[in-house]
Amino acid sequence: MNGAGPVLSTLAGIVYALILAPIVVVVALAFSADNFILFPPSGYSLRWFQQLAGNTPLLNAVVLSAQIACLVTALSLLLGVPAALALDKGRFRGQEALKNFFLAPLLLPTLIVGLALLLFFTPLRLTATLPGLVLGHMTVTLPFVIRMMTTAFSTLPDDIEAAASTLGAKPWRVIWRVTLPLATPGLIACGALSFLLSFDETVISLFLSGPRASTLPVEMVRYVEGRTDPLVAALSVILIVATLIIVVLVERLVGVARAVGQ
Amino acid sequence: MSYLELAGLQKRYRDSVAVDDVALSVEKGEAVALLGPSGCGKTTTLRMLAGLIDPDAGSIRLDGAEITRQPAHKRNMGYVFQSYALFPHLSVARNVGFGLEERRVPRPETARRVEEALGMVRLSGLEGRRPRELSGGQQQRVALARALVIRPSVLLLDESLSNLDAKLRDAMRHEIRDIQRSLGITTLFVTHDQVEALTMCDRIAVMKRGRIEQIGTPEDIYERPATRFVADFVGRANVLPAMRNGAGAISVWGVTLPATAPADGEVDVFVRPQRIRLAASGEPSGEGMVQLTGRVLRSVFVGDHVEVIVEGAGGQLSVEMQSGTKPPAAGTEVAVLWQAGDTLLFPREAT
Amino acid sequence: MTAGSRLPWLVVPAALLLLAVYVWPTLGLFRTAFNEVGPTGAMIEAWSLKTTGEVLADSFTIELTLNSLWLSLSATLIALCMAYPVSLFLFRTQSRFRGLLAVIAIMPMLVSGVVRVFGWLAILGDRGLVNSLAQWLGLISTPMRLVFNWTGVTIGLAESIMPYMILALLAGFGRLDRTLEEAARSLGCTPLRTFLRVTLPLSLPALALAAGLGFVLSMSAYITPKLLGGGRVFVLATEIFEQATTNTNWPVAAVLAIYTLVLLLALLMFSNVAARRLQR
Repeated sequence: MNGAGPVLSTLAGIVYALILAPIVVVVALAFSADNFILFPPSGYSLRWFQQLAGNTPLLNAVVLSAQIACLVTALSLLLGVPAALALDKGRFRGQEALKNFFLAPLLLPTLIVGLALLLFFTPLRLTATLPGLVLGHMTVTLPFVIRMMTTAFSTLPDDIEAAASTLGAKPWRVIWRVTLPLATPGLIACGALSFLLSFDETVISLFLSGPRASTLPVEMVRYVEGRTDPLVAALSVILIVATLIIVVLVERLVGVARAVGQ
Repeated sequence: MSYLELAGLQKRYRDSVAVDDVALSVEKGEAVALLGPSGCGKTTTLRMLAGLIDPDAGSIRLDGAEITRQPAHKRNMGYVFQSYALFPHLSVARNVGFGLEERRVPRPETARRVEEALGMVRLSGLEGRRPRELSGGQQQRVALARALVIRPSVLLLDESLSNLDAKLRDAMRHEIRDIQRSLGITTLFVTHDQVEALTMCDRIAVMKRGRIEQIGTPEDIYERPATRFVADFVGRANVLPAMRNGAGAISVWGVTLPATAPADGEVDVFVRPQRIRLAASGEPSGEGMVQLTGRVLRSVFVGDHVEVIVEGAGGQLSVEMQSGTKPPAAGTEVAVLWQAGDTLLFPREAT
Repeated sequence: MTAGSRLPWLVVPAALLLLAVYVWPTLGLFRTAFNEVGPTGAMIEAWSLKTTGEVLADSFTIELTLNSLWLSLSATLIALCMAYPVSLFLFRTQSRFRGLLAVIAIMPMLVSGVVRVFGWLAILGDRGLVNSLAQWLGLISTPMRLVFNWTGVTIGLAESIMPYMILALLAGFGRLDRTLEEAARSLGCTPLRTFLRVTLPLSLPALALAAGLGFVLSMSAYITPKLLGGGRVFVLATEIFEQATTNTNWPVAAVLAIYTLVLLLALLMFSNVAARRLQR
């Protein structure tokens, strides 16, 4: 009795088809020549990609989302990695409580966080601004980075850091020369995933976006609500390809299932 | 005062005591083994010496200076970890040079000393390799070179040979002992392997449940174990329950021994299987010999010796005969003989 | 130890940021729930339970709650039936593509929700894949309504929560020991009996946890009900968003949000207790 067996493999195959169906359909639809959502398309063309190139609101949203995701990733790593170091390596009172505090935001639905941020940011005039969106996304990415990096640091072999200190390395030098280099794959994966988390974040952005600043997922929601043509499919193909590249890179480095799971 | 002095060293974990009142003096250039079963506190003691664990009580003095609270990176102790703990992201040369770089030793000197250290452990030519490209034995040599190159005040080895196969372990044992002797470096070994302790060290400290049971030369430990635990843990021993018969005299298998029981309570007799000789039944015993009689139950060929199990009036005992001699057939009546001086007496332990 | 005593200070920046943009706003949300709504629709600062009372007494709230619960229950059950075989497959397979297969299984998690919703529109729409196929086969003459109603939302939601449930199941399969199944087979069980008597009972705690997770995610999902519901599907999540943005009725939005949170908390506790019971 090795492996999965034919019955289980077949069942899994059917579910895989269902999982992939929407994505495959979107890709096919992107090359549609029709004016509306018709599947299978009556003809194929690249017209929706050309249309996309001329759609200023969507392109502006792509740029804004990329800017936000970069800032969010950089800031989350900047704040999250030191915090993870302290939580894993330090020995201080209230450490466990603090760990739980940092993980708590992951439990609260983004719908609630988004609402709370809307109520908080409106009087501060931070809604529909770059700083507001960046801070909003960080409520999701910062706890994520802290959790992932705490795990990454704690799975490093204990003795390697001890070895560095017996060889005369000061605590900060141990972190710099041993801990961080060994955690680099995890760090890259963590950065890539928090970029994706921020780039795809929809609900918090919906609460915090406005005419002045609107992210890509928000613009896509607006577009799908109003019209049903394959333009969004063309955009989706580009996003899927970009996501795939990032995911494959991360998988090569650490394994996504491990990175995303507990 | 000795070069390295441990006094009253103690470490507790919640409700258990890992190391309890350990005192040990090590002379400069001496090699001392901490020997004991797993969980006896030997590794904890070593880590406290290296500054990797803070002791709860007691003191560590090195060359007259108190270092108990000094952080690990200021102690200059060469530590060879059981897992080797090589830096996977650095080459062999950078691994070995790590400690010198941290000490800001000039680059040419670092290069020279790394080369010298790698030559000493016979790894010249592998400078550019990564640790994962090395065999277990080579990794262990790199770990040793890395610890030696900083010219440590004390070399600490934590079960350093336990991950090697038996052949390699024998070779490394001699190699490490030679390097240790030629450099005259003060060394502490932690091991659960008595052969390692007996062959590599000037003195052995046997530990049990966080305490040192006995400190002595390998001969002391083997020939004159101070406690029942030491006799049992180091080397093999036949344990024969003894009977008291009146005025301090004791007997085994109905034979009175030329020895007196030290204290009250039940007593067991310990005899090493190698010290026992078999003779034809009825042969007169020599002066100062203990003689029991029994019947051969079976004999087992173990390679370098033959083990003969003899059953007598009070139970069984095993005798090691030289390989190549023909053991008596099963069922033969035999006399079991040993020198009275080889008899060890210990109070019986409640189990 | 290996690190200095100054190390703990490194948590301070992250902690301060989360205090400012997470803890404080959440407290603000609770505070807002005590405010009142004036006759003009403007918010009046107050410390009263008037808004709470009004929301809880509203029959629409009850309808929304039942809608949310029913939708979440059906989506969770569908997703569980699909996630279980996939997880079991991933847990067992010795294929060298296991890593890749795991990535594909959680792919929906990594692709934007809007993209997937768009895909479902193309599959389930009036001129989508399913209707085209059914018409071509001559099964139906007029298109079935599969989107912009509860059917579409349930399907889309089930798909969007599935990857999370697969991960939860995989994490919970730790106790599933292959040798136990082999033991059952050696004792004469057929594969089906082995599954029913050994595999399934041992994976019940994982199933309970995964179901709890799926339920919570469904209850708080907004994008799928909004877009696949086409304005005809009303659940707690859509109502919270409407009240907060279109109506700018913050006290009501806050009360509904807290009400939803309490429901979620109760559900989570229930599924945790169930999982612990099943563990024995």
